[in-house]
Amino acid sequence: MTSSRLRSILAGTQTSSALLSLAALPMAVIFVLVIAMFWVSVQKGALGTPSAIYTLANYYEVFADPFIVGVAVNTLIFTITATMVALLFGLPVAWLVERTTLPGKTLLYAIMTLGLLIPGIYTAMGWTLIAHPRIGFLNRWLVDLFNLDQGPINIATPIGMGFVQGLSLAALAFILTSQMFRAMNPSLEEAARVHGMGFAKIIRRITLPLAWPGILAAVIYIFTIGIATFDIPAILGLGNRVYLLSTFIYLKVHPQGAGLPEYGITGVVGALMIVVAGLLTLWYSQVLRQGHRFEVVTGKGYKPTLIPLGHWSLAAWAFILLYALFSKLLPLLLIAYAATTPYFVPPSMEAFKHLSLTHFYSMDWELVLRGLKNTAILVAVVPLAVLLLAFALSWLIVRSRSRLRYLLEFAAFLPQALPEVILAIGALLLALFVIGTSIPLYGSVWIIAIVYTVARLAFATRALNGSLLQIHRELEEAAFVSGLSTARTAWRILFPLIRPTLFSVWIWTALLVYRELTAAVFLAVHDNITLPAVIWSYWFSGSINKASAVTLLMTLVLAPLIFVAWWFGRRSQVSVN
Amino acid sequence: MISIRHLHKRFTVSDGVVAAIKSLDLEIAEGELFVIVGASGSGKTTLLRCIAGLEVPDGGEVRIDGRIVSSDTPPTWIPPQQRKLGMVFQSYAVWPHLTVSQNIALPLAEGLQRIAKNEVANRVKEVLRLVQLEEQADRPATLLSGGQQQRVALARAIAVSSRLLLMDEPLSNLDARLREDVRGRIRELAKQLGSTVLYVTHDQVEAMAIADKIALMQAGELLQVGTPAQIYHQPNSSDVADFFGSVNWLDGEIVAAGVADSPIGRLQVESSAKSGDKVRLGFRPENLRAVDGATQTNGFDGKLVSTTFLGDQFTYCAEANGRQLLGKNRSLPEQRDGIIRFAIDAADIMVFPRRET
Repeated sequence: MTSSRLRSILAGTQTSSALLSLAALPMAVIFVLVIAMFWVSVQKGALGTPSAIYTLANYYEVFADPFIVGVAVNTLIFTITATMVALLFGLPVAWLVERTTLPGKTLLYAIMTLGLLIPGIYTAMGWTLIAHPRIGFLNRWLVDLFNLDQGPINIATPIGMGFVQGLSLAALAFILTSQMFRAMNPSLEEAARVHGMGFAKIIRRITLPLAWPGILAAVIYIFTIGIATFDIPAILGLGNRVYLLSTFIYLKVHPQGAGLPEYGITGVVGALMIVVAGLLTLWYSQVLRQGHRFEVVTGKGYKPTLIPLGHWSLAAWAFILLYALFSKLLPLLLIAYAATTPYFVPPSMEAFKHLSLTHFYSMDWELVLRGLKNTAILVAVVPLAVLLLAFALSWLIVRSRSRLRYLLEFAAFLPQALPEVILAIGALLLALFVIGTSIPLYGSVWIIAIVYTVARLAFATRALNGSLLQIHRELEEAAFVSGLSTARTAWRILFPLIRPTLFSVWIWTALLVYRELTAAVFLAVHDNITLPAVIWSYWFSGSINKASAVTLLMTLVLAPLIFVAWWFGRRSQVSVN
Repeated sequence: MISIRHLHKRFTVSDGVVAAIKSLDLEIAEGELFVIVGASGSGKTTLLRCIAGLEVPDGGEVRIDGRIVSSDTPPTWIPPQQRKLGMVFQSYAVWPHLTVSQNIALPLAEGLQRIAKNEVANRVKEVLRLVQLEEQADRPATLLSGGQQQRVALARAIAVSSRLLLMDEPLSNLDARLREDVRGRIRELAKQLGSTVLYVTHDQVEAMAIADKIALMQAGELLQVGTPAQIYHQPNSSDVADFFGSVNWLDGEIVAAGVADSPIGRLQVESSAKSGDKVRLGFRPENLRAVDGATQTNGFDGKLVSTTFLGDQFTYCAEANGRQLLGKNRSLPEQRDGIIRFAIDAADIMVFPRRET
């Protein structure tokens, strides 16, 4: 009876328990990371040893420190700004794509979705070169033009950093809200029009109220990411001593000068961030669920009536190009410029005469190649691991009918709730104080691989869920009944049918791993440094031009891959729909 | 061929647990075309899937060909791969990335049986001939019509095992005209191959047409098992009678052995119910006969309320003593001065005890 019950828990069909253990693995990792964080946060003295003192003193210290409170306020200002800017660009563009006759939507889609692949650090580096109070060329121009004492624009403030972060997150805002516009039943708006309501009134009384849960969900989602984001605030703020919670933790772990790491304080801030992120995620899922109430079930293939834009298309495209210029083009151009100019001066005809490749010769190639090697290992290993684990999770979530799948669904969502900073610090604390020297995880590329794999799991699982749902379960059952083993069924029936999605997930994960900075910066020491971490170390030590040169090299590799990703992403969408 | 004892299956749904199959017993003889019929949600597909091994029962025992394939004591479980049966799915489950012959060859070559290559080719050819799809052999399966895909699914099932075939609503995705044709061919093929077939459908006409034996399932239990004629003419409950066609129901009371009082008068019935028993009397529309002369047994007067012409027959609604009755005949009953004389044979009246409400 017990064995029969166990089997019915599994899937109802004959499911190998191997899948379940694969699915449980990332869950266990996340669980351990979170535990490690809380465990370290309540210790003083020699952490992780028997002589450690268990106390809440770290918590008192954090709450009593006005500096940390200031950092928290900075984080709040930063996150609110970022969320607003992201929606300012993302929401109108989503509406334009889904609901109007705007020409050139394919190009627009490419701009917005590929924007996700251009690393935030590029944008941040570019904007430092544009609007840093001292070196930013815009400030220098304005100072010269109006004879000012100092640059009038300061990007290294919570609001300035929030603006840059918002530019980077706008692509995400676009994707989230365009899904919402697509799911909205256009006949509701048509009904309003037939009954005599005008355009403005329809937008105000029908479209916006219907869209509201979707917008709110997007706001919470973006806010959750913003509150713990590291790379942009680090590039823009650390050198200027403007701290957010994430960069503050970094300083506690990697103190400058003679200071010692304060892991206890790190643990406290990390634990608090887990709680905040958890609450936000809870709210998010609640809003999403309420949003579903508004979804009117329609037959597939309905076509929304599109609003004719006419001459307004020009204004719309100007707006979109402005966004592309701000978020991608201008920063990339400045990085290219900084990479090829001997020392950074505002761009001018005079400066262009001195362009050279000197930084490419003088950069530490041993370091760059070491970074390249580690990044190559990560790109080779992580996407495959992600696919394997996500497939196990996804198959159980979609095919199993036991209550276990709700738990797995939650587990697959967890990495989304836990920002990379948290995962990275959790892994760091775990490696230093729990595992210690028994397994040489600290300083190896594998600790980074584990964090990357866990962090990318939510996205991959969601993509595979969508794809598996399209495959009728009877296609698999027909194979089982006619004698094909589970493995062979997966190999001969399932994989061929979801191949476009598998490939699409693989290449997206590979690209995101290739450009990922946060976890690497926290976990990299000497041997396991990655390419983005090399950029970071140059940048943080003030070698702006060398950092730009490495960035340019990275981008040259990235560009063709992004094109491949876009190409296959398009194809897989076609086959999935 | 199939023997089921005390089978249980529960499902966990969002608001609790639903018993899909409640302690079910069933015997299916070799070579029989056995149809399980029931409304949606009656548990019939779950039963089929428990036999196929696609569902794990919560209790009870399933034997196929004498071999225990699932049991609770001692815990036994044979996965679907090793049950050696052919199955036709409601969606056909024809693999869309393969051609017609690849669809049939894959389980033969890579399934449990691992048949040699040239042997596979022969088997594929043979079953394609049986379902008349030889010319489509190399076409991608998705380019076939619904009826052809259904035949691919049938061919694949036969190729794997023609001894025992499970069919889950195999005709429900075909249009009405094709359905009659295909069900005839399925029966023909099954008899030709000597297969035991377990066939699940919600359509009582389809069940009647194809079955050697029918089991009516409702809420996880079998209400009655029998030949189509037994089930139609001798239903063991008013639920069974209702499922296989319309019935005119009258509340009545037995007043003497073989005599019942009813709203349309005193009726002779064939029943062992005792005097004073409250009963439900029922007869089918085609058994409402218009007759000449006033002295027929079970005769009564009525008049016509409405008629519907269906081409090969008429259905009509008649009124007798304030009660509306449904009738069915090849011609409309003759009226005399607006009055029709009706009669019902005693043998055509079903008598069931009336449950007090």
